[in-house]
Formats: sequence, structure tokens, C-alpha cells
Amino acid sequence: MAKIFTLILFVLLVNTVTMAQQPTDTIKEKLSEMNDRLSGLDERMLVTETDVAKHNKIKISGYIQSQWEQTENPKDYPSSSISIRRARLKVAYETSEGVKFVVQPDFLPSGVSLKDAYVTLNDRWTKRFSLTAGLFNRPNYEVEYSSSQREVPERSDVIRALYPGERALGAKLEYTPINIPLKVQLALLNGNDYLTYAGGNNSNKDYDNFKDIMARATYSVKLGNLGGLDFGAHAYFGNVKANAAQVVKGDYTFDQDIEIGESLKRSWFGAEMQVYLDLLGGLAVKGEYLTGANILPGSKVSSTATSTSQIIRNDSLLITTNTTITNTTTPNLSTNFSGYYVYLIKNVGKKNQFAMRYDVYDPNGDISGSDIMATKKYETSESTSKTEQAINGTTLTTTTTKTTNKTSIKSGISDLAYSSLTFAWHYYFDDNIRVTLAYRMPVNETVGKDANGNSNLTSTYTVNGKTDFLDYSKVFPQNILTLRLQAKF
Amino acid sequence: MLLVVLVAAMSFMPADKITVKGSDTMVILSQKWAEVYMKKNSNVSVQVTGGGSGTGISALINGSTDIANSSRPMKKTEMEKLKQRYNTLGVEIPCAKDGITVYVHSSNPVNELTLKQISDIFAGRVTNWKQVGGPDTEIKLYGRENSSGTYVFFKDNVVKTDYAANCQTLPGTAAVVNAVKKDKFGIGYGGAAYAAGVKHVKVKKDAKSPAYEPTPENVKKNLYPISRYLYMYTRNRPTGSMKAFIDWILSPEGQKMVTEVGYFPVK
Repeated sequence: MAKIFTLILFVLLVNTVTMAQQPTDTIKEKLSEMNDRLSGLDERMLVTETDVAKHNKIKISGYIQSQWEQTENPKDYPSSSISIRRARLKVAYETSEGVKFVVQPDFLPSGVSLKDAYVTLNDRWTKRFSLTAGLFNRPNYEVEYSSSQREVPERSDVIRALYPGERALGAKLEYTPINIPLKVQLALLNGNDYLTYAGGNNSNKDYDNFKDIMARATYSVKLGNLGGLDFGAHAYFGNVKANAAQVVKGDYTFDQDIEIGESLKRSWFGAEMQVYLDLLGGLAVKGEYLTGANILPGSKVSSTATSTSQIIRNDSLLITTNTTITNTTTPNLSTNFSGYYVYLIKNVGKKNQFAMRYDVYDPNGDISGSDIMATKKYETSESTSKTEQAINGTTLTTTTTKTTNKTSIKSGISDLAYSSLTFAWHYYFDDNIRVTLAYRMPVNETVGKDANGNSNLTSTYTVNGKTDFLDYSKVFPQNILTLRLQAKF
Repeated sequence: MLLVVLVAAMSFMPADKITVKGSDTMVILSQKWAEVYMKKNSNVSVQVTGGGSGTGISALINGSTDIANSSRPMKKTEMEKLKQRYNTLGVEIPCAKDGITVYVHSSNPVNELTLKQISDIFAGRVTNWKQVGGPDTEIKLYGRENSSGTYVFFKDNVVKTDYAANCQTLPGTAAVVNAVKKDKFGIGYGGAAYAAGVKHVKVKKDAKSPAYEPTPENVKKNLYPISRYLYMYTRNRPTGSMKAFIDWILSPEGQKMVTEVGYFPVK
């Protein structure tokens, strides 16, 4: 009986333990299943994180500037227009190894153009150097200062004249030490980008064998609690191919003869300064002065006119051919220029900003306004004539070739100095939207008058079929009012 | 009657509002400052959010915050953006000191590391604990997101190169500490104030130098090799209620709270 009871108890015990095992096994299975699922999720997360990390390396930014402009210059028609001034999209990709690719097209209704396309290699060892190659901003303060941030609608006249288009094809080395507020830039450039002159080439290739060098250095100093001062200098050493055999100076006197294809040197220096002051909110005073020698390469145009006549005289046929070749050469022009700009910028609260700029550009300091006239010129002319005769039976052919070489360049509008005062008010709706109202007042250098009281320099224009002229013996209205809406992202 | 009207009007007077945004390292400290200050100055409202030092400085530049908390100095590129937008260099106010702690699990036998070893570990050049005197197991790395000032400071001053690809990014020092607490072979870094429940590794400049823990004494005497200032940045010199708040933070009363939270006073 006891044995049976013990057996029953044993069976019951084994059964109880077995039954208890089943929920534990189920829980273990479920836990294992959950672990597997979590591991799977971990793997998928890792893949997603890797993909996101790759996409995070691509940065897309840009801005659109739509504006309405009203100009007072009588030759501008239409004088009131709405336009898109800039529509830029910048795509930058930076690898973790310090290589950066940048492409920035400009989309306008008139067409798409490339503003930037460059690669920057950052030095991984000392972390002080970077090398940029491609199409990039020339090393200059106002050039490198983005149009989306600039406090007046357009760059100063001197910068636009010396660095048209802002960008250049070449390579640039930058040195930025780690604990010193110094930056040094050295660039080797084609040098002819965006220059429009006869024979000039502004496409994706240099038009001569000569390369230009730019160097710039800037340093920053803290002015205690008051703010900071950035200052620097830059230099430009360039060469342009001579397109004519003479060089004329800025005062329109002969300088030298030169072989076509030889280099014409141009060089200038600039000194810059930006002061930032914490006075009742932000206040900045910025300025730059540039001076040096610039070159306008000449050009040569040839034309040929031929006339032929035939007469019969004494049973003989006389054929006379007259050929006139006219070679018109504009000599290369070398001028000494100077220019400067000064900005005053004041932040008014968090959302408003006032800006004022005064800029001056004298493209030809070798000549004053009173000297500019049609008779202030360099001109030479020489003619040669050659006659050849040939007899063929009773036919006499006489060929006369007259060659006239004219070299001519005269002073004019391109020698006039300009000063401009620009006011602007900005309202920052938020970090992305800025509204600007600006008024620019350019003032031209004036020329003299002749003995009859007529202006020494005028330029004709036709608007809506009516022809009129601009008289440069006085300051005529050229002011521009701009209302601009900028959206930036 | 007039008194009632005046009192009612005053109770509806708009409070001065100060927004503070940025460093996750500083968020607890900053919230404590705000809480205590608002109790003493009921007409001032101080709103504190985290997001990382980079986020705070971006908010300062775009105008959406008055004060940016940052556990690293402002970068040159950020200062350029501030110059372009506001024509100022910004005002840097060191408000506390911090020793960046390297955490390991409390059971990890590794007690001290040189700066080079720490750099090698987080750069992925050393991947096994046995290479630094620990067990023969893979090292698991825990770090911060790249908007974090702690991430930037640690990278610039210790790792000195890119972090290893397998370094997990976590949102905040508390998350790093939690991860290391649960992982016997994990290693992370962050502000000293958060390091509860994990072991602080002693750090030495090189193999021959003594190793130091991130204690107040060692950080104050600049003995601990990975110490840094914690900053507040403003766009302009502070005035009005913002100046009063910042002056209070730098006062003995405000600095006492720095110690209470686990950081070190700036003086």
C-alpha cells in the first residue's frame, strides 16, 4: 500500500515538474525569438544609419533673388522691370577624409551658367592646408562675400571691373594655422575669365599661355569687449596676350612696340579692413583700396575692297584691278587705375539692418575729365601701294594694291571715373527670407566743353525710335532704386 | 479701486523672456539655474532646451535664441556667420568648468588609460580590451552626435581624427552612461555630472605621467588632462534682464549650483 502510494506520489511529482517546465520552455522560446528579432532590427538600423550618414554628407543650399528695379538713366529702357537677379543652387559633398566637391549653377530665365565647380582637398596631416582646383571665387574680400549676405545689391565698381564674374579657373592653396587667426591664399589662374575684349575667350579654357597669380593674407585681432578687427592685403600679378603691335599709355601717348602674342603685364595691390563693434547692437565698418596697372589688349580688323574695270583701246583689252586693303588696329592700352569702397553697416534690433556704401573707381588715373575728348587720342596711318602689270597677247592687266595701316585709339567713356553712394535697408523676416530696399546714386566724372560750348564727350542712344544723347560734361541722372526679395535655404 | 486695477494690471504685465538653447551637457545645470532664478525673479521667464552645442549656436545665429549654451568654443565658421548676419563677434561667457570623463562598466578591470590609448580606442586603431590591459574581448564604443559640443571637443582634443565607424551615436550624455552601464565591454565619454553607476577611468597624459580622476581638485588645478570650459554665448553684450541673469549665474550663488550639479566653478 505504501509502495503504491509512493509510486502515485512519484508520478504526480514528475507530472507537476513536467507541467512547470512547459511554461518556462515557452518563455525561453519567446525570449529567444525576441532576441533574434532585436538582432535583426539592430542590423537593419545599422544599414539605415550608414545610409543616413552617407546622405548627411551631401549639403544642398541656395538662394533666389527676385527684384523690381527702377532706373533713372534715360538710355535704359525699360526703366522699370521685374527680374530674377540670381537663382543659385549649391551642392556640396564632403567625405570624411577631407575631400569636398562643390557645384553651383545659376539658373536664370536667360540661361543656366556655372558659377562654381571645384574640388577641395584638406590636408589630413597638419590640418593647416587646403588645395582647391576648378572654378572658384578669386581671393578677395568683396568677391568671396556671398551675394546672399552682401548688404547692398551689387559689388563695388572697382571689384566688378577687376574681377568680372568673380570666379576664375585655376588652383588655389590656402594656409590656415590652427591657433593663429591668420589666413594666407595663393592662387594660380588662367586670368582671362569673363574678360570681354577682342580675341578674349571666356569659356572653359585659357586663351593664352600666360597664367596669373593672386596672393592674399588676412589677420584677425580682438578689440577686447568692443569687438574685432580683420585686416589684410592682396596682390595680383598677371599677363595678357598682346593683340596689337603697339602699346599706348593711359594718357594716349605711344609707349612701346611689341610683338603680337607677347605678354603685357598687369598688376595691382589691395589693402582691406573690416571692423566689428558691439555698440548698441552690431556695427561694422569695412573698406578696401586697390591701385595698380591694368591692360586692355588691342585688336586688329582687316577689310579688303576690290574693283575691276575693262576698256578696249587700240584693239587692246586693258583690265585694271584696284584692291584696297585697310588694316585697322586698336593698340593695347595700359592704364594706371585706383578704386576703393567703404561700408557702414548697423544692425537695428534682431530683424532690421541699415547699410551704406561709398565707392569710387577711376579706371584711368593718367587722364583727367578735362582731358577726355575726341582729340585726345593716339593715331597713326601709313599707306603703301604696289602696281603689277601682265601682258597676255593683246590683253594688258594692271593690278594695283593699296594697303593702308591705321592705328587708332581715343579717350572716351571707358576713361571716366565714377563715384557711387548706396543706401540699403533690410528686413529679416526670418533666417531664410530677407527684404531689401536700396537706392544707388552713381555720379560720373565730367568732361570739358569746346570753344563753342559743346560737350567734349557725348554718347548717342535710341529709345523707342527716338535718338538722343548723354552729355558727359555734366552729371546726369543714373540712380537706381531696387526692391529685392531674397529666399535662402 | 485704483489699487485693485493697478495690481490686476501688473499681474498681466508681460514677463521678460529669455531663451536658452544648446549643449546637452549643460542642460541640467541650465535648467537648475533657470528654476532658481525664476523663483527669485517672478517677472522673468527663462526657457531652456538642449539639442547640442551646434544646435544652440545655429539658433543664436538665426536669431531664435538669446543665449546659446556650448560645451566647446565657437568655431571660426560659426563666428564668420555671426559676423555676416549681426556684425558682431558674439560674446563668450565661460560659466563653468567640466572634466570630460571616460566611462567604463564598473566590472571592467581597466582603471587607467593614457590620452593616446583613449585616442586609439575611439579612432578604431585599438579594438580589443587586451591591447590596453583588459580582457580579451572586443571594445564597444559609445559616443555622441556630431551636433554635440562634447563630441567636437573630444574629437578635436583627444581623438584628433575621425571617430571609428562603429562608434554608436547617442543623444545625450545620460544615454551614453546608460549604454555603458549595461555593457561590460563598453566605453563612452561625457560630462562628469552624469557619471553615476559607471566607473571613471583615470587619465594620464602619457605612459610616464601620473593618472588623474576628474575630481574638482584635479580639474581646478588643471591636472586632469581632459578638462574644458562650458560657455554661454550671446550675440551682443548682454543688457537688461539677460545681463542680470548672466551676472547671477556668475555670482557665488550661481556658481554654488555648478558644484551641486557636478561641474566645477569657473573661478
